[in-house]
Amino acid sequence: MPENLITATYLGAAILFILALDGLSSHESARKGILYGITGMLLAVAATVLNSSVTNYLMIVITMAIGSLLGLSVAARVQMVQMPQLVAILHSSVGLAAILIGYSNYMDTSIHFSGNEKTIHDIEVYLSIYIGALTFSGSIIAFGKLSAILDGKPLLLPGRHALNLLLFTATLILGWLFVAPASPEAAYIALYIMTAIGIIYGIHMVIAIGGADMPIVISMLNSYSGWAAAATGFMLSNDLLIIVGALVGSSGAILSYIICNAMNRNFISVITGGFGTKKISKSSVLNNDGEVISIDITTAAALLQQAKKVMIVPGYGMAVAHAQHAVSGITQLLMSRGVNVRFGIHPVAGRMPGHMNVLLAEAKIPYDAVFEMEEINDDFANIDVTIVIGANDTVNPAALDDPDSPIAGMPVLEVWHSKTTIVLKRGMSTGYSGIENPLFTKENTRMLFGDAKTSMDALLIELS
Amino acid sequence: MKIIIPKERYPGEKRVATSPSIVTQLIDLGFDVSIETNAGVAASFTDIEYQSVGAKIVDDANLLFIDADIVLKVRAPILEANNGFDEISAMKAGTILISFIWPAQNEVLLQRLADQKITVLAMDAVPRISRAQKMDALSSMANIAGYRAVIEAANTFGRFFTGQITAAGRIKPAKVMVIGAGVAGLSAIGTAKSLGAIVRAFDTRLEVKDQILSLDAEFLELDFSEDSSGAGGYAKTMSKEFIDAEMALFAEQAKDVDIIITTALIPGKPAPLLITADMVKSMKQGSVIVDLAAEQGGNCALTEAHEIVIQHGVTIIGYCNLPSRLAAQSSQLYASNIFHLLAELVPDKNGQIIINMENEVIRATTVVKDGVITWSPPIAPAPAKVVTKSQPKNMEIIPMADKEESALNRFIRDITLAALGGCILWGLGLIAPASFMAHFSVFILACFVGYMVIWNVSASLHTPLMSITNAISSIIILGALLQVSSSINTIMWLSSFAILIASINIVGGFSVTHRMLKMFTK
Repeated sequence: MPENLITATYLGAAILFILALDGLSSHESARKGILYGITGMLLAVAATVLNSSVTNYLMIVITMAIGSLLGLSVAARVQMVQMPQLVAILHSSVGLAAILIGYSNYMDTSIHFSGNEKTIHDIEVYLSIYIGALTFSGSIIAFGKLSAILDGKPLLLPGRHALNLLLFTATLILGWLFVAPASPEAAYIALYIMTAIGIIYGIHMVIAIGGADMPIVISMLNSYSGWAAAATGFMLSNDLLIIVGALVGSSGAILSYIICNAMNRNFISVITGGFGTKKISKSSVLNNDGEVISIDITTAAALLQQAKKVMIVPGYGMAVAHAQHAVSGITQLLMSRGVNVRFGIHPVAGRMPGHMNVLLAEAKIPYDAVFEMEEINDDFANIDVTIVIGANDTVNPAALDDPDSPIAGMPVLEVWHSKTTIVLKRGMSTGYSGIENPLFTKENTRMLFGDAKTSMDALLIELS
Repeated sequence: MKIIIPKERYPGEKRVATSPSIVTQLIDLGFDVSIETNAGVAASFTDIEYQSVGAKIVDDANLLFIDADIVLKVRAPILEANNGFDEISAMKAGTILISFIWPAQNEVLLQRLADQKITVLAMDAVPRISRAQKMDALSSMANIAGYRAVIEAANTFGRFFTGQITAAGRIKPAKVMVIGAGVAGLSAIGTAKSLGAIVRAFDTRLEVKDQILSLDAEFLELDFSEDSSGAGGYAKTMSKEFIDAEMALFAEQAKDVDIIITTALIPGKPAPLLITADMVKSMKQGSVIVDLAAEQGGNCALTEAHEIVIQHGVTIIGYCNLPSRLAAQSSQLYASNIFHLLAELVPDKNGQIIINMENEVIRATTVVKDGVITWSPPIAPAPAKVVTKSQPKNMEIIPMADKEESALNRFIRDITLAALGGCILWGLGLIAPASFMAHFSVFILACFVGYMVIWNVSASLHTPLMSITNAISSIIILGALLQVSSSINTIMWLSSFAILIASINIVGGFSVTHRMLKMFTK
């Protein structure tokens, strides 16, 4: 296949990838978008394989066949609750691929550069391996934390900022040694040490981040996997890789930005230190004289039976308890009785951006009943009953009322404006941020204690 | 300790101080419970029901009182002996009496109880704070009175409350005006509304406007600014100008509405006169007035306490015992209020009462202790609601001010960033070879395209976005595909492995995205 035709095909693929992402702007166009994406990928792979320099078809067929089968089986079996883990582990393989490709490119002695071009190419190799290494190890740690293999709590090493600075300086010095090596062997040694440092840095970065900040970590790693692809693109002088890498990189960056905003957190402070590491000052524990009013299933059912407008605010706790199907049952029952049932989703609900929407969709809850925080926050005053399931910090009024609260300024779902709020909870424990929630002692709040799934199942039976 | 519940001896009183379901809970708190025979009959609770949950039934009132530690009652004890039985004398020294007392109006009674060395907890003295809401019997009773007021009005009123279109013609809905939106007023508004009437409500306290509107009622507003929120959430007396404006409003409404329900009370004072004889005269024939303030002198000039009278064709209901007219419901709620108070008094759930005067609720409720009158407690502060409401507003103002201040700073920052970016590009252009600059241009432009496209992605599709970007970032496979044909073995194996994991990623990413998108249905 002539070089120009390959470039033209790459251009077509790039446009198809942009259209694929553009398709995600609405549910209707999203499925068409994925077709664009698959077509783009097929075109790009086909054009590359038809390149005159590619001859080892046997290896390509074998590896791609095995890889595709593995990919299909994983995708078919993964549960929606495990999506964040899956995404994390897939990120890590992009990182690993970047390392492997970087090394093989550097080893390939058939490519010759000289002068400035050589320097730039060496820097590109160095960067793509470095970004690949930290994406790889960071994603593995994120995977471990999300699937509870590792402790979700932030692990903060003493002097971690100094350590980060040391690693960064070492990376720069090694970079210099690599670009202007004393001998070819010295260049390889610099490359190996740098890879190790990249891996250590990735581990150290993610292990210091707490469970509640996981959505930010996932988005950030998403972004890194894009930058790794872009760096590889520079290294290989391949515009398609650069374009796709830039698209993915900016996508992840925007998602991180959205999540940071929704948590009122500074991106830099998230990646340099864990959440909940702040000492909670005494004054932030609210003195309120309110008492918790707990109710039973029968009362909760009676409240729902009288309600005309119901809002359900789910959090990750709902997914953990596997309560979404019972919630769906209640939703359908109430809807069939003409009750207006809607869902309010906080941007950080779940373990990755949009996770809660996927979980609700899986439970067959119609997506036009699911609303974002900004769309429905003003509506709570008209709601008869709000049900909070497995959410805590995202409905904490202290974020607005108490300037000393660790979550002060974080936008929250203002559920307490509704006439009655039913909070499903196991006990009076605090959320990820470890702070008290004054919502529980508000006059119009009723606590329904117990396992969310058991409670919702019982409520469904009581209602029907 | 032993709790007794005597029959209510006040004429016509149908309520009783406990219900069978609450007896169970009292026994759980560690008490023994004895009940006078037929004490609950008028409230539809039989002796058998009480007995079945573990209460003892006692025939003789004297026997009942003889070893009582705690006496639960609804009405305050009657001063004079009734049918040869004197409730106050029957209580021995040290007994704890829990009932409505009205200490402000009943000084003689209070003194007699103090002389008898009886400890008295007045259910009407429970403070109006959120922690004590579950013990607030006044609110429970007011809620019932408000409901019953509408039912009494509907019973007397000759027409439907709700509007209908029937084959025989259109029926107009009744118009109801509720004066005073306290607990009783709000309950009346809700009940009248659910019967289908058009409801208008008036209150001097502007803070209740939202509550009225939340019940879908209309809030009658004066063209006059004076708020009357007093201590403890009650209203206070208003200025003369305000009252004139208010009376003009009522006079105008009286001509229009069919039902008037008045609930205006000012603590410790006779009820304010709001509906004059002239207003009654101006009302339509068949209209109804229910005066919930009848016992305190009435809000309507023509009200007669305890009676129903018809004046100028308008029925004026002055019943003072509306909660008693819904005896089963009010007994149940009252019993529950008393139970919550007892739970507060028995912190260890061992049936031993501790009257802890440090506890704000118990301090306020206890009006006689060890022979000393401890009425009246320190004054409760004004309702705190106003403060909490204004707080978020203040919070909003601060960041806005910040923004304006920094507009200039932001401009300077933007200019600096742009200049810095320009310098870097220029420097890069100087040293970098042309091929790099071409790729770099593509990279920067792609970042911008990504930025524009991603902001349009629906927030609910962020998870599919991540999995699809995951799949397409594996375009990195192209690098491995180009290198796998290398003659160097290491490169071949490294590339093969890269192809393997990248294809897992591509296929897995696309198919899981497809699976997710399929689930999103309308």
